[in-house]
Amino acid sequence: MTNPRPTWKSPWGYAEGIWVAVGLCIVGLGLQLSGHPLDPRALAWPVNLVLALAFTLALVLAHLFGRRSPWVNWLGRVPAALCSIALITLLVLIMGLVLQDDSTASPLVRRLGLSSMTRNWVFLFAMFWFLAALGIATLKRMIPWSWKNLGYLLNHLGLYIAVLGALLGAADVQRLLMESREGEITWLATDPHGHVYEMPLAIELIRFEKEEFPPKLAAVETESHRMAPHSKLDMFEATSGHSGTIHGWQVTVHEAHSLSMPVEDLFVPVYDLGAGPSARVTAHHPETGETREGWISCGSFAFPHRLLELDETYSLAMTVPRASAYRSRIRLFTPDHEPREALVEVNKPLTVGEWKVYQHSYDDRFGRWSTTSIFELILDPWLPVVYTGIFMLLAGSLYLMFKRRIARPSAANGDDHDPA
Amino acid sequence: MTPLDPSTLTLASIICWLLASLFFGFAPARGLPRRIAHLLLLTGLLLMAALLTSLWLSMGRAPMRTLGETRLWYGFFLPAIGYAVYLRWGYTWMIHYASLVATAFLLVNLLHPENYDRDLMPALQSPWFVPHVVVYLFAYAVLAASAIVAIKGLLRHALHRPVSGELALADRLVTLGFGFLSLGLLFGALWGKEAWGHYWTWDPKETWAFLTWIMYLAYIHLRIHRGRRELASLWVLAFAFGILLIAWFGVNYLPSAANSVHTYAR
Repeated sequence: MTNPRPTWKSPWGYAEGIWVAVGLCIVGLGLQLSGHPLDPRALAWPVNLVLALAFTLALVLAHLFGRRSPWVNWLGRVPAALCSIALITLLVLIMGLVLQDDSTASPLVRRLGLSSMTRNWVFLFAMFWFLAALGIATLKRMIPWSWKNLGYLLNHLGLYIAVLGALLGAADVQRLLMESREGEITWLATDPHGHVYEMPLAIELIRFEKEEFPPKLAAVETESHRMAPHSKLDMFEATSGHSGTIHGWQVTVHEAHSLSMPVEDLFVPVYDLGAGPSARVTAHHPETGETREGWISCGSFAFPHRLLELDETYSLAMTVPRASAYRSRIRLFTPDHEPREALVEVNKPLTVGEWKVYQHSYDDRFGRWSTTSIFELILDPWLPVVYTGIFMLLAGSLYLMFKRRIARPSAANGDDHDPA
Repeated sequence: MTPLDPSTLTLASIICWLLASLFFGFAPARGLPRRIAHLLLLTGLLLMAALLTSLWLSMGRAPMRTLGETRLWYGFFLPAIGYAVYLRWGYTWMIHYASLVATAFLLVNLLHPENYDRDLMPALQSPWFVPHVVVYLFAYAVLAASAIVAIKGLLRHALHRPVSGELALADRLVTLGFGFLSLGLLFGALWGKEAWGHYWTWDPKETWAFLTWIMYLAYIHLRIHRGRRELASLWVLAFAFGILLIAWFGVNYLPSAANSVHTYAR
């Protein structure tokens, strides 16, 4: 800071920002070390609502009546914003480098809260400092109102709403798992600590469905089932009529079934519990002139996999198919509605009142024949607040790209040039 | 429809762009060689667009699923934006830069085809996927250009030459790039809510994307407040791109990324 102005003499700037950051770090780390870790649940409803309103009201009052205060003046200008951004950047950088929620982290790292940054006092303080600076800067542009400031307000007020909502709303988020078996009705869900909750909705799993990509053919070591070296590029899909060169062998697929069962040496297509993919292939080695023919399969829980031996070391194998989609057909029971059928799929959650029901997982021992489906039930009462902020920011981003005129950096200390 | 051969088309695009770069470098401002330069660059773009369209149609989905396919889009947008910046502000070196970086990305595809073809996992099958990736690629391409401007500015500063022209261009690029970056982040948040149940989970990729976003936020505010601190602005811009590169490539290799949901490419 080449500014000749002594520190703590108004108007404050970067030097004061650095001192504030240092102060917040000392107090925050002191709280961490003194054995008072931040309990995220302490902010649960209605504490968070009161805190959000009180904090916002305090900023409004400070802006209206405290403009002469060096604190308020400083918070509403860029140096405070940049210093709070710098502190948050530092903390998030630590979060980005240190594995979070790591129970094997060193005791010091754990006590300082570096491996649980989002529950760290310093992080909370930094976020509120950032919000205070953002809030005062926003109020300066809101009062008196001018449409000229629309872009600025979409971005700044949007960010304020989204961050405040996300920060305080996190305590009210509930994520529960509900395991549902075909033909059974469940209304109990468990949280990560194993507590069981009775839900305001019940689910009967009618059917779990899983679709798979065609499996691929690959050369593997017969003993270890490890992929043959340099053969990853050779893999191709085991669909009827496909051919290619794998590990020096010309491989042709004559017949392929996505669902089949072994019957003696053959595989026959069946749609039944435990069926799995299979293919009849020939492999021809152009140099030795040898030819191998036979059925291969990756197997299923009901029957073992089958390889086609190529030579003493290598065999042709079929890879386990990967899921292309999975979903659950369910019957949904709620207190105020008739039972209704619904579909829950990855990326397509079901909204039931305040809850959202997600396709979480299934019993992967049985793959597509799983009769168990696991749903995640999520409640986030603050979502509308956060989404209001997010959609304001989306509009603000478009405004920034299309409308923002770049301020000429003419004045070295000039504030508030930015119309967006 | 039979897909066009990716390798041949990619190679043809690369040749077009490198030749275009050469022509733009040596051809006089007017005349036939200059027109050939434009033609070559546009041909490269058209070939790339044809490849992407062909892949899209033949696969019945957007070719945005694997790292290899991501590089195709990057290879398309970099020369496109480099060319647009050249048309708007007349910086020829943008074309050289864009062609070279696009070539580098596409060469990775040609040399490492095993990275190219992977199955699409269910969580990626979302209407948010295409906009999320496209705006990020736009943001990364524009911000990559701003980083090159920053490095050029730093070099000029070291030679005691004025850098206000570079910073003015950097400001325009960052404004555009930051807009795209914000859209990418927010689309990701909206998608995350649909796919994983929450809009923000501090997944390592999200953490680094946030760092990238906040670095450019800092740059914009630094420019507004300390416009004459040219050297500091240039360093912040260069540093921000370093963070962006970690967010983009490096996250998978960080110890903090052990449980990331964003490591599809493994």
